[in-house]
Amino acid sequence: MAEIARLNSSPAGGHSARIDQLRRQLGALEAATGLAGECSALLALGTPVIDAVLGGGLGGGTLHEIAAAREVTAASGFALALAARRMRGAPAPIGNSCDARNDDRPVPTLGRSVLWIAEDLSLAENGALYGPGLDEIGIAPERLITVAAPRARDVLWTMEEALRCRAIGMVIGEMRPRGIDQVATRRLALAAAAGNVLGIILYTAPDDAPSAAVTRWIIGAASSLDAARSHDVGSPRFLARLVRNRRGPLGTWIVEWNSVEQRFELATYSEPVAGAAFDRPHRTAVA
Amino acid sequence: MLAVDAAAERLGLTAGLALAQARAMHPTLTAVPEDQTTDARVLDAIAETCQRYTPLVAIDPPDGILLDIGGCAHLFGGEDKLRADLLVRMTRLGYSARVAIAATIGAASAAARFGDAPIMENATRDARERLAPLPLAALRLPDETVAALTRVGLKRIGDILDLPRSPLAARFGADLLRQLDRALGREDEPLTPRLPVAPYVAEKSFHEPIAREEDVLASVERLAARLKTALAARGAGARRLELALFRTDGAVKRIAAGTSRPVRDPQAIRALFVERLAALGDEIDPGFGFDLARLSVLNAELCPDEQIGLGTREDQIELDRLVDRLSARLGRQRVSRLLARDSHIPELAAAVMPAQAMTRGEFGWDAFRRFRVEAGLSSRPLRLLAKPELIADVFALVPDGPPARFRWRRALHEVVRAEGPERIEGAWWSEKGGPARDYFRVEDKAGLRFWLFRAGLYRDMTPSPPRWFVHGMYA
Repeated sequence: MAEIARLNSSPAGGHSARIDQLRRQLGALEAATGLAGECSALLALGTPVIDAVLGGGLGGGTLHEIAAAREVTAASGFALALAARRMRGAPAPIGNSCDARNDDRPVPTLGRSVLWIAEDLSLAENGALYGPGLDEIGIAPERLITVAAPRARDVLWTMEEALRCRAIGMVIGEMRPRGIDQVATRRLALAAAAGNVLGIILYTAPDDAPSAAVTRWIIGAASSLDAARSHDVGSPRFLARLVRNRRGPLGTWIVEWNSVEQRFELATYSEPVAGAAFDRPHRTAVA
Repeated sequence: MLAVDAAAERLGLTAGLALAQARAMHPTLTAVPEDQTTDARVLDAIAETCQRYTPLVAIDPPDGILLDIGGCAHLFGGEDKLRADLLVRMTRLGYSARVAIAATIGAASAAARFGDAPIMENATRDARERLAPLPLAALRLPDETVAALTRVGLKRIGDILDLPRSPLAARFGADLLRQLDRALGREDEPLTPRLPVAPYVAEKSFHEPIAREEDVLASVERLAARLKTALAARGAGARRLELALFRTDGAVKRIAAGTSRPVRDPQAIRALFVERLAALGDEIDPGFGFDLARLSVLNAELCPDEQIGLGTREDQIELDRLVDRLSARLGRQRVSRLLARDSHIPELAAAVMPAQAMTRGEFGWDAFRRFRVEAGLSSRPLRLLAKPELIADVFALVPDGPPARFRWRRALHEVVRAEGPERIEGAWWSEKGGPARDYFRVEDKAGLRFWLFRAGLYRDMTPSPPRWFVHGMYA
């Protein structure tokens, strides 16, 4: 894997055939383990640079990890923004039960419903999802089913059940990173592949434990536009660090969620792309 | 002394005797103090055991249980056999019981407590004859009425049966006649069952008690298959089900499960109880096994006939099944949908409802979106704390402006950007409404965004410093 990453990040174009071949080999190997789902439905972030690194986007039936750098709200916003992109394109839910019986109209699917699971402790500490706020950043609250699980064990169980259900578009499970071993993530990865559902584990703190997830992100909040240019709070903005990627290189970006077009955009002002550490606010780096 | 057991009775002791007197007669007497709450609990447990004979069981305090066995006696081989079975069961549990069967509650209660004929015929004439020799107290009359009747020489029910009614009513109250009429079946007396009666019930008793989970689930499926016929006949489906497992030692385990759409498919019903049993785990203690299983539909709803092969609709069914499974395992309240509510107070503007209870729809969000555009609603946070949290060390540049820094959960946040205020009035029409709040959306140096508010207007604050809260966080 490390070799591929190195190859991929090297600018030499002559290697591309070799890389494609390696990718195919890797795909075949992963398919044999049952870890790779049908990657037909890639979930692109909408940012060409990042999508290229991901090889087109996040695979449909795969498991990904998003860890909160500090406050979990930013990380949950990032995960939910992905959910919003997942919902996009799916037809609107049924207006009311009378319409549902009207056979003239095609019955819209709720196949893109999103299940959001959180541990009780995390809900108490970080607050529950708030419908008006969700709607504001472009996530239809009516598409969301929320589950409050008493323990991390129940989060894992619920995730596994939901990942096997093909009527769900995406499953997000929020929990503390403690006690989640590789067996657990592997079970989830297998379930995701079986149901062809995108699974996201949302950790409330960064974690280095080995896992079966395809990518691992650390998401932190990023400041709005330069204070000199505006005093207003802008769109949701994330400092996204891709710290593990089975399919390609890593990277760090500052992305902004465009809730109207429902896509991530690279922040347009200059930022120190390298070395953006969380303990060192990047504003000082700019100055 | 309130009650005596059989051994004490043989010694000539009776209830109502003073304890000191009894002790004087028999120094080795064992006395147990009265405990009404435990008595009530035991009575309730016995009633639960009796639930196996009929769904209509009522408690007749302080020491009686009423069973309406109309239409069920034949299931146990007739009234005689039912009575014998009940007596055996009570004896096995270690209780001594007196059982009487009669056409009215009054007569049965009188016969059980004071009579010696266990079964009374339905005919009124027979009831008259049987009741006549019993004391008046058997009519469940207040003590004063019985005492007053005794004073004038009326001691048995037979004494008042043929007396003119109006003088009796005038002297001893209408209660006396009503109780008499009820006992004789001249007036109806309704029985109030201790549990609601389910519209659809199927049950199976086992000669050999079952204890294994697979056996329980298999019988659930068999019972569900029987219910299916009954439900389909009326075009109904189950929304709420209850499985009652009667243990051989009299205890009853009740397990409820809900669904988000009416179901009558035995497989689906079985799947619900798989999760319920898994969630309960060791709480279902089979002891020496269950000898009766009863599956009741507590709530039924009209259910359109099965639609098969409508493509996308299958997704819907799949989703409902998932919701049912999760609700069965984790609890109904834990699997929710978000609802928009018509309220300007932030914590009331969104509600969380059990997903099973919500039929499909947009849950009020369309109206909310229209409102947001029309009213130009300010930004709302992604996550809202269950309870606003007090923040300390607030320092504001302008008295009623946003804070320049604040301390929350021990971390100091330097505010770089702020928007607001948005003033939200409290519910002034309600006593618990609270003061108006000025909300600010702020961003700190690290890019973290908060939704803060100051409780109350600034001008009302002096001299005490204003109180600030964090209410939510933005992405």
